[in-house]
Amino acid sequence: MSGFVINFEGEQVPARAGESVAAALTAHGIRGFRVTRSTAERGIFCGMGVCQDCLVEVDGVPGKRACMTVVDRPLSIRRQRNGAALPPVSDALPPATIDELAVERPELLVIGAGPGGLSAAIAARKAGAEVVVLDERRSPGGQYFKPVAVEGADVAPPDAQHREGLALVAQARAAGVVIRSGVSVWGAFRPLEFAATTDTGETRRYLPRAVVVATGAYERAWPVPGWELPGVMTTGAAQTLWRTARRLPGRRVLIAGNGPLNLQLAAELRSGGAEVVAVVEAAGPATRAPAAVAAMALASPGLVAQGLAYQWRCLTGGVPMLHDTVVSAVEQRPSGLAVTLAGGGATRVLEADVLCLGYGFEPSNELLRALGCRHEHDGTRLVTDRGSDGQTSVAGVYALGDCTGLGGARVAAADGTLAGLAAAAGLSHAVGPELARLGRQAASVAQRHRRFQQALWAVYRAPALAIAQVPDDTMICRCEEVRFGAARAALAEGLNDAGSVKRATRIGMGPCQGRYCRPLLEALIQEATGKAPDETSGFAPRPPFRPVTIRDLAGKP
Amino acid sequence: MSDALPTAIGTVVIGGGVVGACVAGFLADEGQDVLVVDEGRGAGSSANAGSLHVQMQSRFMRLYPENVPNMELQLPLYPKAVAFWRELASSLNAEFDLKMTGGLMVAESQDQLDFLGVKAKRERQLGLDVEILDRAQLDAIAPYFGPSIVGAELCANEGKLNPLLCNAAIRSWILARGVVLAEGVSVARIARSGTGFAVSTTRGTVTAGRVVLAAGSGTRLLAAGLDPPISIPAVAEPLHMNITEATAPLIGHLVQHADRMITLKQFGTGQIVIGGGWPARQDVPGGHAEVELASLIANASLAQHIVPSIGNLRIIRTWAGLNTSVDGMGVLGAVPAIPGLFVAIPGDAGYTLGPLSARLVADVMLGRKPGEDISPFGPERFE
Ligand SMILES: Cc1cc2nc3c(=O)[nH]c(=O)nc-3n(C[C@H](O)[C@H](O)[C@H](O)COP(=O)(O)OP(=O)(O)OC[C@H]3O[C@@H](n4cnc5c(N)ncnc54)[C@H](O)[C@@H]3O)c2cc1C
Ligand SMILES: Cc1cc2nc3c(=O)[nH]c(=O)nc-3n(C[C@H](O)[C@H](O)[C@H](O)COP(=O)(O)OP(=O)(O)OC[C@H]3O[C@@H](n4cnc5c(N)ncnc54)[C@H](O)[C@@H]3O)c2cc1C
Ligand code: FES
Repeated sequence: MSGFVINFEGEQVPARAGESVAAALTAHGIRGFRVTRSTAERGIFCGMGVCQDCLVEVDGVPGKRACMTVVDRPLSIRRQRNGAALPPVSDALPPATIDELAVERPELLVIGAGPGGLSAAIAARKAGAEVVVLDERRSPGGQYFKPVAVEGADVAPPDAQHREGLALVAQARAAGVVIRSGVSVWGAFRPLEFAATTDTGETRRYLPRAVVVATGAYERAWPVPGWELPGVMTTGAAQTLWRTARRLPGRRVLIAGNGPLNLQLAAELRSGGAEVVAVVEAAGPATRAPAAVAAMALASPGLVAQGLAYQWRCLTGGVPMLHDTVVSAVEQRPSGLAVTLAGGGATRVLEADVLCLGYGFEPSNELLRALGCRHEHDGTRLVTDRGSDGQTSVAGVYALGDCTGLGGARVAAADGTLAGLAAAAGLSHAVGPELARLGRQAASVAQRHRRFQQALWAVYRAPALAIAQVPDDTMICRCEEVRFGAARAALAEGLNDAGSVKRATRIGMGPCQGRYCRPLLEALIQEATGKAPDETSGFAPRPPFRPVTIRDLAGKP
Repeated sequence: MSDALPTAIGTVVIGGGVVGACVAGFLADEGQDVLVVDEGRGAGSSANAGSLHVQMQSRFMRLYPENVPNMELQLPLYPKAVAFWRELASSLNAEFDLKMTGGLMVAESQDQLDFLGVKAKRERQLGLDVEILDRAQLDAIAPYFGPSIVGAELCANEGKLNPLLCNAAIRSWILARGVVLAEGVSVARIARSGTGFAVSTTRGTVTAGRVVLAAGSGTRLLAAGLDPPISIPAVAEPLHMNITEATAPLIGHLVQHADRMITLKQFGTGQIVIGGGWPARQDVPGGHAEVELASLIANASLAQHIVPSIGNLRIIRTWAGLNTSVDGMGVLGAVPAIPGLFVAIPGDAGYTLGPLSARLVADVMLGRKPGEDISPFGPERFE
């Protein structure tokens, strides 16, 4: 196995080439990365570059996300302390103007190389469009396919889900799609301009003729006392550790949430050798919704069989399944995390090294919102107004997949094909009979999987987070360390919109840009004022949608 | 705040920025009943950078050379306005994160240094505490500048504060004084009714004995709709801002440039705020201001050119807000043609001037002699 040594504040940490800094440190038992203003430690939370709680200094450069930084050489890593001094710099770069940035003008730009974006790119390319795909991750595949990034005798080989992803990427490349990985799109400007920075620090402008936005989703907050503690992470973060780096998040793992991903994670970690303390599910057992289960089986027998297989692996692995139960608090004890579970009118405490929270997703729709695409709030989240061909309310802007609402990987892939064809047609490429047939096929797959999703969420129907019951001392804004009590006090003073509460309390002012606290704040505002959230009730979408290093805006010397 | 507006009230203040809020507070301090109506589109006071400006800003001198005489007329108000912020902090017993660190306007060439020399001389005549520093003197007090900086003008009267803290404290103060705050409510028209006014809002009509126009650039349309129409040529200027994540204390001063648009300073949070007048855009008149990529690139890259070590910091957010620009000075006081109507627009660097401007207008309304001669700033000068 090829590897490197990471020097973590004097400690020698072995790392595999290709894994993330977060994966290597986690495998070594290190959980505290960033140190907040109040000197609390934070660890990986989202595992996907969104939450900014995993910040470290890499070779003296501050502000690096451990979860997105790949080990490709020996590295010297330090915790990122809030307000730490900057390394001295003597070579100031000259002031730059926008005209000095490199410009790419692809005919069609696809943002996001998940199943949705890749499928769109392939379809559009087949119809003759010149397509460039951008993705922030080191390799394409998105959250569903996430390829294994490490090699070695002790590394479990790729599974069927990995292989499906590799095949899709290969198909895209063979069709002539240009995929640029490690490119983070952090700005979208009307009418159709994008700003992006590569992982080598080069900032570019993209001026395409049309765009397909397929930026996926991230996990919602589950605000309970202690949810910001190191060791508490999202189900997706734990899954990324396992699926990309073949690392376990910890020895004893408690998985809690709502939906099938938690079960998949339990099965995977179990097979990787972790002790899964329990899977805690907010919904009741599937046997309670037999009609919905039947509808799922009808729509996608394959996915139901896969789900049963995960369940079987958990059962035979001795993993307890607790239904109608949620996490209500987390506390750090010397021996581990003490997790309080509430269900059936009773509470109990289980201990684990890691708690995974998977309580559903929020769409990553900030690029769409910045472009002015219309959205509607469906009571749970913002849903992009779009036709079945992905056309949004803005000409030349197509969107699909989890960034437009939710639907899962299969719907994203099918909708991707439809959007790719529509975008190509909009660019005056002929969609011949063969491609039209592909489109019809995709439309029926999308329909079938929408039925599946509908039935799935009927099976997993669970009570929504009771915002009124979240205790005042619970963190609402992880970045700025603001608690529910402060939000409630601001609302009691008569502030009644997210922007004003933000300015008064600093909720949403941190580097994650309010991704976790915004839906919580909107729920509090609705509770206090009766105002239902809509597309303007959150914080204004302002770039950069990922923090961007000043020097990267000034160009390279 | 409250859902139903009062149908009649002594004074309606239109605009709940720093000026409108403070006018209301000063009137309420004297027992008057006041309603503040604000449509809440986040204009200057909720977007500004918190620089306490005193020396003449090279940006305005270059952009509007014809306004320089007016700027000089108002210049003596600036140090007083800064002092007034300090008084307000202590009278409200509030933490504004106000620091009197002084301001530096840096130069990169002899030409620029000469320009600063001439400017400093004039400012000294007008009572400011300014001096020109060479690079060695600069390094002794501000050892963080890049290699191209040759010297600077230091203005000791300048400083900075955190507008988020100020706005929150001012809001608490006026609510405690019983001011009625109607947020998210827009005024469409002001009609004269008897000896007073009927103010039509998106939540019904309010009659009032007196009206204060503190609506920033929104003032122009409201004034033009009166009978007789009043001309207040206030225009909206959409501006760009950037903020970084926190770092250790580095930049004490308020930093500007003799020939380029920038303000640069560090808040008590450790975050560095970068602004200075780069344009934002407003697609729809009266609509939201939106950030432009060109301004972000130019403003941020210039910041690291002046202070190289911040090149390693990340910008976590940008925003855009609406500044109000008139003719190089504020518009303060009674409108002679319409008894009971007052205007309160502070002028360039209007957050600095805000509370003092409000105090002066409130004094006129309370029948007191304002502590400053405000006759040059009267609204009748546009007739
Ligand atoms: C953390 C996580 C784990 C998940 N795990 C599973 C799972 O194991 N099984 C399952 O069935 N479903 C899983 N899902 C759900 C699944 O990802 C989606 O249902 C499906 O992938 C949707 O596909 P998509 O193309 O919409 O988005 P994604 O597959 O999420 O692809 C979006 C891509 O866009 C990139 N991107 C986003 N914003 C930018 C930007 N501004 N600049 C550049 N690139 C950007 C991202 O890096 C990502 O690669 C997971 C979701 C998340 C968030
Ligand atoms: C980005 C930016 C940075 C700045 N930085 C600084 C700085 O560092 N230092 C400094 O001194 N100054 C700065 N300024 C200038 C300063 O912010 C303003 O001059 C000052 O805040 C003006 O205060 P105001 O109360 O007069 O008006 P505003 O704060 O603009 O308030 C006017 C209010 O009137 C309301 N309104 C308008 N029309 C109507 C209507 N018809 N009905 C109801 N309500 C209405 C608006 O909603 C608004 O809230 C900056 C400005 C901007 C935009
Ligand atoms: S864990 Fe790295 S950004 Fe969230």
